[in-house]
Amino acid sequence: MKAASFDYARPRDLGEATRLLAQAAGAAKALAGGQSLGPMLNLRLARPALLVDIARLESLHAIADGGDHWLIGAGVTHARLEDASGALPGAEMLCHVAHGIAYRAVRNRGTVGGSLAHADPAADWPLALAALDATAEIAGPKFARRTPVAALMTGAFTTVLADDELIVSVAVPKASPQARWGYYKFCRKPGEFPDASAAVVLDPARKVARLYAGALDGPPQALPALAAAAAAGTVPSLDDIEAALAPVARGLDDIDRRLHAVAVQRALKQAIAR
Amino acid sequence: MTTIDLTVNGRSVTAAVEPRQHLADFLREHLRLTGTHLGCEHGVCGACTIEMDGMPARSCIAFAAACDGMSLRTIEGFDEDPLMAELREAFSAEHALQCGFCTPGMLVTAHDIVQRLPDADEKRIRLELAGNLCRCTGYAGIVNAIKRVLAARKAGRTASAAVAAPAAAPFVPFAAAASAPAAATPPAFARASAGEPGLAAAKAGWTELVESFVVRRPPAEVWRILGDLPMIAACLPGAELDEHDARNVKGRMRVKVGPIAAAFAGAATIERDEARMAGTVRGAGSDGATGSRTRGEVEYALQADGAGATRVAVTIRYSLQGALAQFSRSNVARDLARRLIGQFAANLDARLDPGRAAAPGPAAPGEGLDLGRLVWAWIKDRLARLFGRNV
Ligand SMILES: Cc1cc2nc3c(=O)[nH]c(=O)nc-3n(C[C@H](O)[C@H](O)[C@H](O)COP(=O)(O)OP(=O)(O)OC[C@H]3O[C@@H](n4cnc5c(N)ncnc54)[C@H](O)[C@@H]3O)c2cc1C
Ligand code: FES
Ligand code: FES
Repeated sequence: MKAASFDYARPRDLGEATRLLAQAAGAAKALAGGQSLGPMLNLRLARPALLVDIARLESLHAIADGGDHWLIGAGVTHARLEDASGALPGAEMLCHVAHGIAYRAVRNRGTVGGSLAHADPAADWPLALAALDATAEIAGPKFARRTPVAALMTGAFTTVLADDELIVSVAVPKASPQARWGYYKFCRKPGEFPDASAAVVLDPARKVARLYAGALDGPPQALPALAAAAAAGTVPSLDDIEAALAPVARGLDDIDRRLHAVAVQRALKQAIAR
Repeated sequence: MTTIDLTVNGRSVTAAVEPRQHLADFLREHLRLTGTHLGCEHGVCGACTIEMDGMPARSCIAFAAACDGMSLRTIEGFDEDPLMAELREAFSAEHALQCGFCTPGMLVTAHDIVQRLPDADEKRIRLELAGNLCRCTGYAGIVNAIKRVLAARKAGRTASAAVAAPAAAPFVPFAAAASAPAAATPPAFARASAGEPGLAAAKAGWTELVESFVVRRPPAEVWRILGDLPMIAACLPGAELDEHDARNVKGRMRVKVGPIAAAFAGAATIERDEARMAGTVRGAGSDGATGSRTRGEVEYALQADGAGATRVAVTIRYSLQGALAQFSRSNVARDLARRLIGQFAANLDARLDPGRAAAPGPAAPGEGLDLGRLVWAWIKDRLARLFGRNV
């Protein structure tokens, strides 16, 4: 359980970081909190030639009020968001989700950007930030771009990020005071990756209704028809949810499909009752 | 070697470390601070928990080279800490340890719980302890020890009045604006239409995956093409043929899943039933780098799908063993297999119909399936065409 050899670099700024990644042409990996990469290095599943340590880049650490959204730096840790409870009006869901990720010792190091880039199908941020309609700001050595978080992940552990691109921040739209949200996970043990998960945001003021199912084979999947029904005040039956899941959540056996349907229904009930 | 300067238990330390050395090994082997224990070495058990810049963290998945300038506190650094003295006393009184292996990590975590959550009840204590495993005590003693310290501290301060949360107004139903959620599926997959999935685990420990795709050529032609092994290998991202005859192939397959890069070398035998236009490929392979092994079979059958088109139904069954399997839940391999089929179908289609714009071009030989890159290449290609130059 010891990592294979790699070189280590700690760039001073984002530009140097993306340049180092570009020079390595796929042989380098960014290191943020190391809470996903560390285990993979120790298991020797990942064997990059170079680690580019971005954990202490100041420009990735800001939490800023952008008016109609909160700007969360990619290097912000889960623990910082957990502790921001009460300080992020319109984005309370972030604190709730952060609190439920892994364990405090992991949350103290693990980052939002690392979670999105790692793209574990069962991870919390790809699901929660898709439901929140967040936008990721991405920087490469030559130019920057934006992508909805819902379109960032293309498969298990796979994203649209190029080897030399880094997530810089995510912009999370602020919800109105009338907004409701729900977030439900089935975990065998607290802090473990869930077997099924779901996130929903219903905001009457913005006419937003977004519902996503997570912990599937690949990326979280949108369930827009169920979201609209929930906005109109109807919690769909488990059978209806299963029917809506069938085309987007392929490969599930009967038990898995039911588990996901229950997660979706409980998230919706939370939202409507909250 | 990287030179680091850091503070450990209040003492300045300068050391030259190999970047790959994890922090716990550095503490134990370089500084001889063997109070930090190692259980799982991948972040799960909590035995290695220490304080990094004042906050508990796993030292097994941190690297010493990345700790330059940090201040660390291991269990040895708590000797003079008054709260830790209370916890030690309570752990002893409540029988919160037996073999002691988990104890350093438990104490560092307990210290954090008492400091951060002075009002924690038993439920919260148990939740906060979920990241520290103990094989001896059954946790009751540990939970009681932390409760004892919290209660003693509480007795020493005035109780904080509980603030009732304001009651939320009831939910008001509304009509959601129709918004097309961003497609999370890359464009190339739209045409690899998949059939109803079947997931009956045919053999114990094996995963089964049923998919299908349509090729716009008549069955007889597709049947012939599917007998062309070099062509198949060229369409399968990451595949390389080493040697083959009509029934046997030897080759390699590279897959890239996020930071994992595996290169399986293996062999397979092929059976083709001309009359039914159906075939089976059975094979096995292993990847030295990740120490993973896989065995699997692919069944395929052709059927006419309207005029001049063929539906190829594919059933894949496989088992995965070794580090890769240990790491990934079964759905990850399933997702990968499904994307490989989608990519294969798109590449096959592009080859059969070179006039049309290819979907994300076939991966260069030897390059594994890396969807991020493929989709990016595709977007760049589109932009280049739009602006008539290379982006
Ligand atoms: C025991 C344990 C339990 C866990 N349980 C959960 C859980 O229940 N839910 C959950 O969601 N997560 C869980 N995690 C994962 C945790 O949330 C990680 O923090 C997160 O997945 C990765 O963040 P990181 O900052 O540690 O990234 P790293 O491990 O440093 O990096 C992960 C990957 O992302 C890349 N990367 C990092 N930052 C960026 C960036 N800014 N731009 C582009 N690429 C980047 C890296 O190159 C690497 O490939 C768990 C982890 C552990 C160890
Ligand atoms: S040894 Fe570090 S968490 Fe298990
Ligand atoms: S006391 Fe033995 S593992 Fe906890």
